[in-house]
Amino acid sequence: MKIEFAPLEGRSPQFYLFMLVLFGVAGAGLFATYLMYSQGLYVTGMSNRVPWGLSIVMAIYYIGLSAGSLVLSAMSALFGRKEFKPFARIAALLAMLLLVGALLSIILDWGKPDRVFVPFLHFNFASMFSINGILYSTYIAICFVYLLAMFAEKEKLVTAIALIAVIWAVGVHSGTGAIFGFVPRELFQSPLLPPSFIAAALSSGTALMILLLQLLFRYTKRPFDQQYVKELSRLLAVFIIVVAYFVFVENSFRAYLIGHRESAWYFLFGGPHSLVFWVGLIGLGIVVPGLILFTPATKNSIKMINVAAILHVIGVLCERYIIVIPGQTHPAEILPNMNVESVALDGAVVGYSISFLEVIQALGIAAIVALAFMLGLKIFAMLPTKALIEDEAS
Amino acid sequence: MKKELDRREFVKIGGVVTAGTAVGLGLPLLPLYRASAQGEVADRSGKRWGMVIDVGKCKDDCTACVDACRKENNVALFGDPRFDIHWIRKAKISRRVENAREISAPLLCNQCDDPPCALVCPVQATYKRKDGIVIVDKHRCIGCRYCLIACPYNMRMFNFKSNHVRYNETYPTRAHGVSESCNFCSHLVDQGMQPACVEACKQAGGGAMVFGDLNDSSSEVAKLVASRRIRGLREDLGTKPKVFYIGL
Repeated sequence: MKIEFAPLEGRSPQFYLFMLVLFGVAGAGLFATYLMYSQGLYVTGMSNRVPWGLSIVMAIYYIGLSAGSLVLSAMSALFGRKEFKPFARIAALLAMLLLVGALLSIILDWGKPDRVFVPFLHFNFASMFSINGILYSTYIAICFVYLLAMFAEKEKLVTAIALIAVIWAVGVHSGTGAIFGFVPRELFQSPLLPPSFIAAALSSGTALMILLLQLLFRYTKRPFDQQYVKELSRLLAVFIIVVAYFVFVENSFRAYLIGHRESAWYFLFGGPHSLVFWVGLIGLGIVVPGLILFTPATKNSIKMINVAAILHVIGVLCERYIIVIPGQTHPAEILPNMNVESVALDGAVVGYSISFLEVIQALGIAAIVALAFMLGLKIFAMLPTKALIEDEAS
Repeated sequence: MKKELDRREFVKIGGVVTAGTAVGLGLPLLPLYRASAQGEVADRSGKRWGMVIDVGKCKDDCTACVDACRKENNVALFGDPRFDIHWIRKAKISRRVENAREISAPLLCNQCDDPPCALVCPVQATYKRKDGIVIVDKHRCIGCRYCLIACPYNMRMFNFKSNHVRYNETYPTRAHGVSESCNFCSHLVDQGMQPACVEACKQAGGGAMVFGDLNDSSSEVAKLVASRRIRGLREDLGTKPKVFYIGL
């Protein structure tokens, strides 16, 4: 059975309204960025003690989400699951655009975004940022070539590029984890961050795909087999268990190691971020979706699967927050076992509250990604006219 | 699809891709090994600047070093602890026990021999000079603030606001959006003078700070390093700080 692709109709008033809203939010985000750029970053909630805020959280969140798209798109090409082939194109497009969103979040967060060309002129191959810059941009290029190969319907080439893309993705996600894991500060330093970043990337990305596929097919009124949702939800269930395992190992390591107990206590119970950890990641992100996806009474209900997916997408956003923030609000141990007090807030626990402008900027970048995705679907034949499992399997 | 990819072909493609990726990911790490193998490089002049601070001589309420630094380098105070910039600051330090004696000491950039800030800087805006001074090229800095994250001493500062204070007409002000930190007053050191804080400590303070060439065994600083019980901050991290403390 040949899969037919067709661009979005995109003539309904709802479509135009949706695009208009996206345009508006994107514009607001760019204006917020302009304010930060012209005034200086003091208009954000960041400080010399917490120099990385919401935009870095969002950047690594986007990078993680792109993993789900890649898995979905590689399912048919690499793992022989032909029934997933209809989604290969949109998934590759989304993987590419999410990386663009991540790069935007990072670059617009710089103090000097107008020096965007400088990293191309001066590399530091020892810097995780330099390495990741190369990994991210080549990854975007690979996704683009992958899309071209799919449009040309060159099966062998698609398979080969899918393989490269999967290997490259491992590098992209490990490298992102290493930005934090390879820094000599107490709540950052951890060789476990790269693999645990991959785990949460796979789980959140899969949850996003579960939701996105349903939305796309519902609003385009194209036939969609709910069995896909169930298939993906089984994958999501497994990924969530892996995420939970990594969270458990990392925190028991910190709590067990004598020198790390104080910071482990701070991480788990010492501030507002602890609430994000327990309620956001553990509660909403792991326990509730885990229960839903493993309880026989709920695991086959599309509604409940959607609830689990929504909660997990939120839970992993919380996970990204607690990767970035507590490691900064907790003071650097300049002199272990000593009290250090100074005007530069050495030794003091500090706070970080997300400012209004940062939220607007983050929403704006999300809107830009969504806008590009919708335009891609409208201009190119990427969305299949129908997605039914029996058709594809035969 | 007409033909499945057979196993042989799969292994062939997979092998090539894996090898390619391994080389691609491994190459960037090469300079790291080379750099660490070289160890401490001496500059053509053979200088390696360092500092010894005798905490016992540091007076409790004295801020001569801090004030001198602000005046010399136009270091900004905005009246908001979130954005205030400190190249050097006085810290109150005490052991975590009851009735611990509080001692006072200046904290400044440690001018690490293996500086984490320079390691992570994606554009090499932060780099170590051959004489060991760690310095920021503010015209190259993109303001990503990775150096603030990486410094285990919290000595890196970012210009959240533009800084137009100009106590010293011969030293530049800063635009917002770039990072900075103490550079041992490299502009003075290059003229054969002492850093402003050291000079001020000698004139107005307790004479607690000694600055000089660690490579010159006859210099006062080298003698102190060789003869006294000194420590750098968090030497366990392997950053090899070049600011040493007596009596901490």
